[in-house]
Amino acid sequence: MTGELIYEVKNVSKRYGSVVALDGASLKLHAGEVIGLVGDNGAGKSTLVKVLSGAHKPDGGQIFLDGVERSWESPRDALESGVETLYQDSGLAPHLTVSENVFLGREKYKKGILGWFGFLAKKTMEAEAQEDLEKVGIAFPSANRPVSQLSGGQRQAVAIGRAVSWARKVIILDEPTNHLGARQAGEVLQIIRAAKAKGLGVIFISHTLPHVLEVTDRIVVLRLGRIVKDSPTKDYNNDTLLGTITGTIQTIKVEGD
Amino acid sequence: MKRTLRSLAVLGTVAALALTASGCAQGEKQLTIAFVMGAESDPFFQAMKVGATEEAAAQNVKLVWQGDPSHYDVATQVPIVDSVISTKPDGLVLIPTDPAGLQASSDKAVEAGIVVANVDTHTEDTSKAVIFITGDNGDGGAKAADAIANAIGYTDGETYQVVVGLTSATATTNVGRLDGFKAQVAASYPGIEIVDVAYSQSNPQTAASNVSNWLTKFPNLKGIFAIDGTNASGAAAALQAKNLVGKIALVGYDAYPANVELIKAGVFTALIAQDPAEEARQAIRAIVAKIRNNEDPASHDVVIPNVTLDANTSAADLTKYTYVAN
Amino acid sequence: MTDSKLTSQGAPSGFNWKPLVTNQSTILVAVILLLAGVFSAGSYGSFWDVSVFNNILTDWGLIVLLAVGQTFVVISGGIDLSVGSTVSLSGVVAGVVMVNWMHLDLNVKNEAAIGPLLIALLVCIATGVAVGLLNAFLVNVVGIVPFIATLATLGGGAGLAIIWSGGMPLQGPNFYGLVNPIKIGEISLSPISFAVLVVAVVVTIAGLFLAKARFGLYTYAIGSNSFAAKAAGINVKRHLTWVYVVSGALSGIAGMYAYTRLGSGSPSSGAGLELQAIAAVVIGGTSLMGGSGKMLGTILGAFLLYEVQSGLLMVGMDPNWKQVIVAIMIAGAVGIQGFSFGQRRK
Repeated sequence: MTGELIYEVKNVSKRYGSVVALDGASLKLHAGEVIGLVGDNGAGKSTLVKVLSGAHKPDGGQIFLDGVERSWESPRDALESGVETLYQDSGLAPHLTVSENVFLGREKYKKGILGWFGFLAKKTMEAEAQEDLEKVGIAFPSANRPVSQLSGGQRQAVAIGRAVSWARKVIILDEPTNHLGARQAGEVLQIIRAAKAKGLGVIFISHTLPHVLEVTDRIVVLRLGRIVKDSPTKDYNNDTLLGTITGTIQTIKVEGD
Repeated sequence: MKRTLRSLAVLGTVAALALTASGCAQGEKQLTIAFVMGAESDPFFQAMKVGATEEAAAQNVKLVWQGDPSHYDVATQVPIVDSVISTKPDGLVLIPTDPAGLQASSDKAVEAGIVVANVDTHTEDTSKAVIFITGDNGDGGAKAADAIANAIGYTDGETYQVVVGLTSATATTNVGRLDGFKAQVAASYPGIEIVDVAYSQSNPQTAASNVSNWLTKFPNLKGIFAIDGTNASGAAAALQAKNLVGKIALVGYDAYPANVELIKAGVFTALIAQDPAEEARQAIRAIVAKIRNNEDPASHDVVIPNVTLDANTSAADLTKYTYVAN
Repeated sequence: MTDSKLTSQGAPSGFNWKPLVTNQSTILVAVILLLAGVFSAGSYGSFWDVSVFNNILTDWGLIVLLAVGQTFVVISGGIDLSVGSTVSLSGVVAGVVMVNWMHLDLNVKNEAAIGPLLIALLVCIATGVAVGLLNAFLVNVVGIVPFIATLATLGGGAGLAIIWSGGMPLQGPNFYGLVNPIKIGEISLSPISFAVLVVAVVVTIAGLFLAKARFGLYTYAIGSNSFAAKAAGINVKRHLTWVYVVSGALSGIAGMYAYTRLGSGSPSSGAGLELQAIAAVVIGGTSLMGGSGKMLGTILGAFLLYEVQSGLLMVGMDPNWKQVIVAIMIAGAVGIQGFSFGQRRK
């Protein structure tokens, strides 16, 4: 079911001033695998996401992609290497259209001299955006509408569709089902399954534990900046997962600690 | 070379005056005089600064020159004056941008024991200021009316359309000149009709734009009175651009070097010039005399007459009245 | 949208003008025509004189350069208050170069002045670029908010303009024909001058880059959500640097325009123009919150400002009404933005 090891962080830590946000976290992600990353507020999830996506540089530890050690200088660095991230609530530019958002940072240009000056092939991008979104199971009336005119669920679908259609190796989804209704959340989980089937490694961060239990292969629990449990999803149920997150269930320290 | 000689001559005169005024300037404690003017970007104040700097050096005075860089505005001037007062200078030369707006600050300075002089414009109540020195704006306006009438070959019974370009509706210099202009027109040139006025808000572009629009609106326009240097620059540009040099009488104010050049080129029929450097010198002299010898000036209100510069003015006079930059 | 072949062939029929036009622009055109009617009635028809349009366009040519640069800055989520003093500064620098360094005076006229004026234009653009780089440095590297950073360069530029000019206009070579209607023989063909024509070309190119090219897309993206832009791999700081440099360069060209208009580099030629430029941008429908706005709106907004100025003078109304009318237009423009945004959200 799962393939080769593609993305790995070893013993990464990050502090902001005197606050230790992340303390020696290690994580392995395989192709075609969905990992759930859970933890209470302030447990270090966002920091770990930022390290994984290249937004923040860790103070210590190593990052490997396809077995090669990497050091992300910027999100662009990670993107170009095939690591795509969907940030919580802020992944889209509301004033831009759906297709502009889908292609932002990877625009297609007109042919000839105009393209040389950066003139955009808008129609081509609109058509392709529509196509790409349909491929991952999102249908839209029109890709040239501003994102601000879409509903919350539609926006989230665009953001995920964008990430899935561009990801080549890894896709990191930070709270993708937040603020969504049950039906829309179900669609998002369907997209995650599609990404898995495509052979991508997926890291799924969520507070909604039933979603995590439903779609992941493995669940990693963070508490106070440390990884306290990393086990196959079948080892958890809703209660034990909640207990592990809040600390009411004692955890055996995971390997390497 | 000429300028050096002139400066030397000025310095000599100043030194002699200083000796007679204060007995002996040497050995006196150095005084600090703050000079708060209207807008640094106005050449009028640049010329004033030259006079103030010369006089301060001659009188053993430390000159603190202050003012907004480009806005002739009561709102920006009040905080400048108030902060200057808090540094407790011995004297304050103030060019109030608004007669009412600066009264409180001026009173505060007097209460703090600072000797205040008003130059160019004045606060509503000048009685507490040691001296008020100004160019005669009313007389300057009248001279402008004479110059325009002369240039258009005024004859009784004919009517002539004339416009006036102003900077703002409230600046006392503008008001004084306009009043003088109107009074002279009413008294001597009833055929001259002032058909419009407009404001440039201290920007020569706006002045040029106003004149361009007038040229369209009044095809029979005979004369333009540009009431200060900014308006003069703008009006001169508009006439040159529209190829109307010599066809419309243009009388300007303030002897900017660039505008003096344009008298020779025939763009300006005449320029009315003030002597801002002399105003500054007299103000500093009056403050120093009051502090060192408790001497009041011979007269509280001093009016320095304006002069008309035109094609007949001698080169020496043109040089004398042209505003000198720092 | 369905036929992508059309665009790949680059056929002109596939060129999409729609993003250039918004409701705001339609409203502005209506207001411009309405005011033209009012001014025409008030001035017994003389408002329709071709030379009135020449006057309006001459004023427009200066402010629209500043407003176009400002549009990029405002859409990116910033503001550039330094544009007015950059006009003064670059105009003064042009004067210093021609008068003090090249030792030319006002007797270098007409065609003979073209060479020196071209050199001065380059110097003006360089001055504007330098101011833009300084703004970008203060915003990106020092981390000062744009309002304060450009307020500082506004003051600094105004001060340098006074110091370098000695506070006096520097009168040098000029070709006033550049700001007069283009003539063929003795017949004036239009209210358009060569200088206005050049500005129109510059403004059109800038408008196309905003609406059609990556430069514009990134400007909108950063103003809309700079975090998303960064996450999409856009180098936000580098792009903002370009935005401030463009605004500075356009202000430099405006400085040369002011020089050509006045025949001198005046340290007060840009006084207060930053507020005019921002007014044109806001009236044109660009949101000061960033992320949205159209160049056509800015172009019309700038025209409207000077239509009002010229119109009031032609009608003979107190020119101080201009400020009142501009204030009403700004309030109206912002009100329309809020209204149409509210409609959309329903």
